[in-house]
Amino acid sequence: MSDAPLLQVRDLSVSFRSEGREVKAVRNISFDLSKGETLALVGESGSGKSSVAMAVLQLLPYPTAFHPSGSIRFDGQELVGADDRAMRKLRGARIGLIPQEPLTALNPLHKVERQVAEALRLHRGKIGREEARERVLELLKLCGVRDPVRRMASYPHELSGGQRQRVMIAMALANEPDLLIADEPTTALDVTIQKQVLDLLYELRERLGMAMLLITHDLGVVGRMADRVCVMTQGEVVEEGPVKDVFRRPKHDYTKKLIGSVPKGGPLPVEDTGSLASTDDLKVWFPIKGWFGRPRDWVKAVDGVSIDVRRGRTLGVVGESGSGKSTLGLALLRISRSEGAIRFDGEEISRRNYKAMRPLRSRMQIVFQDPFASLSPKMTVRQIVGEGLPLHFPELSRDECDAQVRQVLEEVGLGPELLDRYPHEFSGGQRQRIAIARAIVLKPDLVVLDEPTSALDMSVQAQIVELLRELQARHGLTYVFISHDLKVVRALAHDLLVMRAGKVVEQGPAEQLLENPQSDYTRELLNASLEPIA
Amino acid sequence: MNAAAPPIDAPTPPRGLSRWFGPLGRRRWAVFAANRRGYWSLVVFLVLYALSLGSELIANDKPILMSYRGEIYAPVFAEYPETAFGGDFETEADYRDPYVQRLIEDGDGWAIWPLVPFAHDTIDYEIASPAPTAPDARHIMGTDSQARDVFALTLYGFRLSVTFGLLLTLVSSAIGVVAGAIQGYFGGRTDLLLQRGIEVLQSLPILYLLIILASFIVPGFFSLLGVLLVVSWMTLVPVVRAEFLRARNLDYVRAARALGLGNRKIMFRHILPNAMVATLTFLPFILSTSIVILTALDFLGFGLPRGSPSIGELLNQGKNNLYAPWLGIAGFAVMATMLSLLIFIGEAARDAFDPRKAL
Repeated sequence: MSDAPLLQVRDLSVSFRSEGREVKAVRNISFDLSKGETLALVGESGSGKSSVAMAVLQLLPYPTAFHPSGSIRFDGQELVGADDRAMRKLRGARIGLIPQEPLTALNPLHKVERQVAEALRLHRGKIGREEARERVLELLKLCGVRDPVRRMASYPHELSGGQRQRVMIAMALANEPDLLIADEPTTALDVTIQKQVLDLLYELRERLGMAMLLITHDLGVVGRMADRVCVMTQGEVVEEGPVKDVFRRPKHDYTKKLIGSVPKGGPLPVEDTGSLASTDDLKVWFPIKGWFGRPRDWVKAVDGVSIDVRRGRTLGVVGESGSGKSTLGLALLRISRSEGAIRFDGEEISRRNYKAMRPLRSRMQIVFQDPFASLSPKMTVRQIVGEGLPLHFPELSRDECDAQVRQVLEEVGLGPELLDRYPHEFSGGQRQRIAIARAIVLKPDLVVLDEPTSALDMSVQAQIVELLRELQARHGLTYVFISHDLKVVRALAHDLLVMRAGKVVEQGPAEQLLENPQSDYTRELLNASLEPIA
Repeated sequence: MNAAAPPIDAPTPPRGLSRWFGPLGRRRWAVFAANRRGYWSLVVFLVLYALSLGSELIANDKPILMSYRGEIYAPVFAEYPETAFGGDFETEADYRDPYVQRLIEDGDGWAIWPLVPFAHDTIDYEIASPAPTAPDARHIMGTDSQARDVFALTLYGFRLSVTFGLLLTLVSSAIGVVAGAIQGYFGGRTDLLLQRGIEVLQSLPILYLLIILASFIVPGFFSLLGVLLVVSWMTLVPVVRAEFLRARNLDYVRAARALGLGNRKIMFRHILPNAMVATLTFLPFILSTSIVILTALDFLGFGLPRGSPSIGELLNQGKNNLYAPWLGIAGFAVMATMLSLLIFIGEAARDAFDPRKAL
């Protein structure tokens, strides 16, 4: 039995019933996973990779979901259609799951100890309080939870994202499973934390000899973790093989596209023609109110940052979540309250009120991270993109406005037939194009791009980066590009600014900074940034 | 101002109703019509309300059209003194009086009567037994304790209730939406002050307040409307406020600020349409609550002045004359139909305004 694969999936299909129709999420896929091996399922959102993971655990919403065909054998036992009692014996005991979202996967009202111990108690029968406690402590230590004795008595909200994910891993490992399913285990985490968690998983896998089914969209994670990879798109496995072979010599077009979709190339060569916008010791402090509304303390989101955005160039602002990079962008455009001088095109604007800012608004625009939240859901594309025109160019007639909207939509690659559609009819990438169109229709000088690619699929990311570069070349735009993703920043930025906890860690020309980082933090960031091809 | 410009490449300009709606409106209407129960409720409700608006032509104690000595009279629309027909009094002719009827007959006249020859306040002196009388050929739904026709009473009562409810709902919702929008959008101190004010108003016991007010305000249609308005405009405030509080920090509102849009435009063009779904879910409930409040006040005798056609008063009579079940049944049937129709319409409307609802 030893050479029989631990997990054997044959001809598996997953379909969902939706209003009388059948939606096929997974079509006839097959793969094997041996003991101690790591298999990665890679694909973009909607490719059906998470459905596979849930099918292995039989946790799909049956009977809305059903399997038209296929079998899943775990250690010789058929799982498709297995009764719930049998599945409960496997789940958490022999098959562990690390869910995607550590923020919502932990019960907010239970202490860490109780949550981890619950996994033990369920499968180990009677286990004494002291014994459980010891085991929990051991697990937390194993998973690198800092200060585990104190953390056992903490509630989930007291832990950071990375620490929470470690607790989730501890829960999944509690009963030393043979198979660990990790569904996008690091997507919600910052890059440096991502690296730590991945390193931990790798080490644990080696030590415990588990098999691992890794679900991810990130080729970097695959390259670092997996032995073999299955590339999925639209519910089908299009390519399978050892990671190195697939990455070096992709056979299928989709795999080629996926590997080619890592943003490539460098920023456009442009000359330095002076400063467009700058700040001097900029501060954005949010008060934490105590009794009677007096500020008890301050959250220093941005704490004394001086930047200089050069005309026609791209300033990349890099940092992890909570580093204040988005707040800096909002403050620069005077959407967020701030202290300290802000100059735009030679003028001091930090004291202007909302009305006095209006004439400048057409010259500085912003594109937000989440294209699903940044477009008014009840307005058509025409209304969204054209909204600012009559405000800033009252001399334009209705037809002229309309012509401009059409032209700018064409520039971002959207056809005029989409003018009267509503945002929910578009994909994420298309929405981001609409958001970019809204910003550039006013012919701005400065565009703040607040993580414009991080909510998008890989291949779409590369397209958006390409589009941004093209628009910069055509209109001589100046960008402030805010991102946590060094791969994307590298493709666009001329100058770089690394932020941490509201302060500037390092700044300078991008090339120089990436080649020869001066601070430890920058080095750590660079290190953590995953290159897909190892 | 918010309407979409007509699509330039549209092959044929849409006609009729749909031209006023725009593409979104058309879609909403399609979703609404797809909900059969809501759609037919709306049709039935509109027909009933339209009919009741013409109550005077359906149930009245005056002829719609009559002739006297070769001349045409329309007593429903104009007042004629009895002397016009050769009678004795300068007051308006009582066309149901046998004496007046004989006068008209003598003048070679004829008269076209409404379907039901009684208005809501006509007292029938010729009933067979003491009032209230059971349904019979003369009064298809019987008469009440003052010998008035119950069918006429419910017809006029339906009209009055719905009209009152609609007016109260529209005005109080408009005030509530604006107040909630201001609270939610500006937040901070504005929110705090308004919220405390609302809490004070809300903590007043409405019914007692109305009973006290009724003793020194002459109860009439509009004075009652005004008084109820003071206590009912807060219903929507928390809903709209919550929507605005949530939406004011969303990216699309930030994007609108980055465009330099004024506060009013951001509030009413960007946030309000998204707050409308929540608002609309409440509208049918507010409408039915308004109707119920009016009925309750009438039931207790603190509502509209005596002689107004009122379902509440009918229900009260039903309670006082338990041996005459047609009174209570009539009142109940009208209320139940009216409220159910409104809720069904409200449900369909809510679905229609949900952008994620598939056709």
